[in-house]
Amino acid sequence: MSRLTASMCVLALTATALNAPAIAQEDPAKKTQTAKTFWGVSAEKLEYRYSDSDEELAVIEGDAFYGTDELKFRWLFEGEWEEAHNAWETLENQFVAQIPVDDFWDAKGGIRVDTPEGPDRVYGVLGLTGLAPYWFEIDTNLYVSDEGDTSVDFEAEYELLITNYWIMSATFESLVAFSEDREIGVGKGLNSTEVGLRLGYDLLGRSFAPYVGVVHERKYGDTADLAEDSGGSTEDWFAVIGARVMF
Amino acid sequence: MKRQLLAAVFGGLFTVVVNAAEYNISVDRVQIDTGDFVKEGIGYNGASPGPVLRFKEGEEVTINVTNNLDEMTSIHWHGLILPFEQDGVPGISFPGIKPGETFTYQFPIVQAGTYWFHSHSGFQEPNGAYGAIVIEPEGREPFRYDREYVVQLTDKHPHSGDRIMRNLKMSADYYNRQQQTASDFFAESSKKGFMAALQDRMMWGDMRMMKADIEDVQGFTGLINGKGPEQNWTGLFEPGERIRLRFINSSAMTYFDIRIPGLEMTVVQADGNNVQPVNVDEFRIGVAETYDVIVRIKDEKAYTIFAESMGRSGFARGTLAPEEGMTAEVPELREAPLLTMSDMGGHMDHGDMSDDDMADMNGDDMAGMDHSAMGHDSMDQGDGASMPADPFYAKGSGLIPTASNGGKFLSYADLKAQNPLYEDREPTREIELRLTGNMERYEWSINGTKYEDADPIVLQYGERVRFKFVNETMMTHPMHLHGMWSILDVGEGKWNPLKHVISVAPATTVYMETEVDAPGEWAFHCHLSYHAASGMFRKIVVEGGPDTTMAEGTQNGQQGGES
Amino acid sequence: MNTILKNALLPAIALAVSSGAFAAGEHSGGHHGGNAVGEPGKAEDVSRTIEVTMRDNYYEPESVNVEPGETIRFHVKNEGSLVHEFNIGTAEMHEAHQEEMQMMVEHGVLKGDQINYEMMEMDMGNGHSMKHDDPNSVLLEPGDNKEIIWTFTEAADLEFACNVPGHYQAGMYGDIEFE
Repeated sequence: MSRLTASMCVLALTATALNAPAIAQEDPAKKTQTAKTFWGVSAEKLEYRYSDSDEELAVIEGDAFYGTDELKFRWLFEGEWEEAHNAWETLENQFVAQIPVDDFWDAKGGIRVDTPEGPDRVYGVLGLTGLAPYWFEIDTNLYVSDEGDTSVDFEAEYELLITNYWIMSATFESLVAFSEDREIGVGKGLNSTEVGLRLGYDLLGRSFAPYVGVVHERKYGDTADLAEDSGGSTEDWFAVIGARVMF
Repeated sequence: MKRQLLAAVFGGLFTVVVNAAEYNISVDRVQIDTGDFVKEGIGYNGASPGPVLRFKEGEEVTINVTNNLDEMTSIHWHGLILPFEQDGVPGISFPGIKPGETFTYQFPIVQAGTYWFHSHSGFQEPNGAYGAIVIEPEGREPFRYDREYVVQLTDKHPHSGDRIMRNLKMSADYYNRQQQTASDFFAESSKKGFMAALQDRMMWGDMRMMKADIEDVQGFTGLINGKGPEQNWTGLFEPGERIRLRFINSSAMTYFDIRIPGLEMTVVQADGNNVQPVNVDEFRIGVAETYDVIVRIKDEKAYTIFAESMGRSGFARGTLAPEEGMTAEVPELREAPLLTMSDMGGHMDHGDMSDDDMADMNGDDMAGMDHSAMGHDSMDQGDGASMPADPFYAKGSGLIPTASNGGKFLSYADLKAQNPLYEDREPTREIELRLTGNMERYEWSINGTKYEDADPIVLQYGERVRFKFVNETMMTHPMHLHGMWSILDVGEGKWNPLKHVISVAPATTVYMETEVDAPGEWAFHCHLSYHAASGMFRKIVVEGGPDTTMAEGTQNGQQGGES
Repeated sequence: MNTILKNALLPAIALAVSSGAFAAGEHSGGHHGGNAVGEPGKAEDVSRTIEVTMRDNYYEPESVNVEPGETIRFHVKNEGSLVHEFNIGTAEMHEAHQEEMQMMVEHGVLKGDQINYEMMEMDMGNGHSMKHDDPNSVLLEPGDNKEIIWTFTEAADLEFACNVPGHYQAGMYGDIEFE
């Protein structure tokens, strides 16, 4: 947790630097007539999952950012709290700087700190996030861990507007590792996929949208074997209920 | 408001008598009740909208503005020709007004007509800091009326300006609740076939553009003089009277299509300047524009003033009635328009479209438009033969307005100066300004550069500059030049009208000329609040002229920085 | 009488611009709805001359007094910078005439500050033209002046008006009051 605090401090410092004018020159109206820095806090997922094998999970995927059009600092949080073990199965904090590289795409770089139940890992992150043609939201990252292991994740989301308030969101996530890290249950090759379908309703603007849905998780190859060895399941169906929040 | 006569004696040789008036305005936190919601906001003299300031052409006004807020403020006198230090743009005209301070504006009134004032600090204007200005002319008006009303429109939103800006930056479609849905898709495919509907979706999806991207900020309540549709602002009249309505669009983001079902309106003024009268059934008022119309009501009944937003996501409503409490039917909102491929302009290169999807890009070029033609050009338009195309929209644009009763809808092409202010002469040079942006990121710019990264546009006192606006975005931008008139090129030479806001529709090219007759530094920007704040803004520096002392020393741009 | 020609011409023009919105029937009142309006007068009957100045967009004076049976010479001069009309008639007649004037504008016969006389004379087919030469009205370019001699046969609800599109609505009319 101390690592987390340190990173937060770095983030705060850089953020202050952002506020200072780039060049100590000229036109003061650039300050008074321009909205330059922005922030946002959201949780794409804030949900309770119940699996076909009676497993219960609380899942959070949060995102906070501060910055300008040209440079944003982002804190991405992902956690899975397992009811049965009373423990974080996944606890992931990413601190990244994000810059635009194209009309629709941003590059990210930073660190990821995993502190779940079990061994911790720190990763370097290089990522790409943006909007692909046909409105697919894409987020993909390359991770190199402090153990020297490399992996890539890929996430895609498509929102289908049933109406302008009832929104069906389809998600796909996958993880591929280029080397094995047995300690944390990662096998070489395709590790896992997660497919979700959530139907939400924008109740309070876009700031609070409750949803229900189903999620299918599956592990593959060595990763599946590692999971089985430690008594876990390799394929789960979940019913989910939760809300998307945005401040 | 007191009015006093000041006599000044210069060297005992002659006496100059100046009409002078003094006004006091306080900038206050106020409650704004729209009927739909109550919201804390900013107002003047304890109310939003603020007072109607009534000036007289030829007088010298003194306005003491006291800032009762805990943040900086400013007042910009929108459309007024005045010394640049009095223009009220913090960082350009003056530093701004600190909390607790009183700033005294003083300037001569050199024009007549309908204008308005608003804060130029942060998002105070969308938060309620606006009011109307009515200037009585020195001579008689070129038209007659028995009574007059200011009809000031705004798009009051339950969110504060800062929050809206932030939300738009987080998600550009945050407020768009008119997006095309799955059910729209099925309706469309049953109409024109599944494949055609799918292809259309794919084409737009390929470019990541939305047909429904007309109003960035929806969810507002349209107000007339501070009153929501339910609160129903009412203007009284006696049957037989001619009424002058001074429409002012003080919205942050919303264009309105205005009609008064059952009445013909005669447009006599646009942006404070008299125009040759035009009879219309309906007109579109861009953000920050003003239009004065005259209506003559013969019978003793009520009429609804109905102002639908251009994207049909909201409306404002008021009533003209012989007595308080009488109302007329309030029409339903018409179906929301959708953009077409013709509105794509600068995005054309992103997709691969067949040629027939392409709009005729020359169709919007105003240069050398021949209005003396027998009007038969309207016959070449196919189905729309009964209605001549509006040259200020891209051919085939989804935004071309039509009057709800099938009658006359005002076009910029109808606006002709009543009394040209300037000699018509050849411009000394042309400056091209491409209106650019990235909708997905909610970034807006000019020539691809945001204000924070741009040099000022430098003009020389005495020149006549022709500005060429090329709108490469899919949004309509009301471009506002401070301090100098924008002479809109409608192809009528010396009759081209004077304006202070030039609305540029998607994928069109519009020209305006400016007689550079005001030294100093001026703001120039898109008047959509969140576009201006995102970077669609420039500083203009006028070099030379009678009083250059103020302008020098602060300028750092290059000659013709934008050309 | 030219009015009749114009009324006949209207539907033809309407057809030419392929809009069926205008119907000849609306204009059956024409310029001479009975004799109430009066009739062209003879110079020898003129009892007095009234000077009328056209400005943008109003008249000076804005009302005149006449006696039933009186013949008046109106000397009308256009001191504005736009084309203006001086037309004696009832409010209904003016309204009908405004649509004709609108047509003239749409066809380029009438521009803001000039009249295309050539086009006015042009044969629109069947000997019709867009001439504007009714005896109860004059149409003047800036700087021009003309006279109308008019006999007001009986008291009626009359106005003098400029029917150039928009001008009447903006207030360019005056009352003819009978004593």
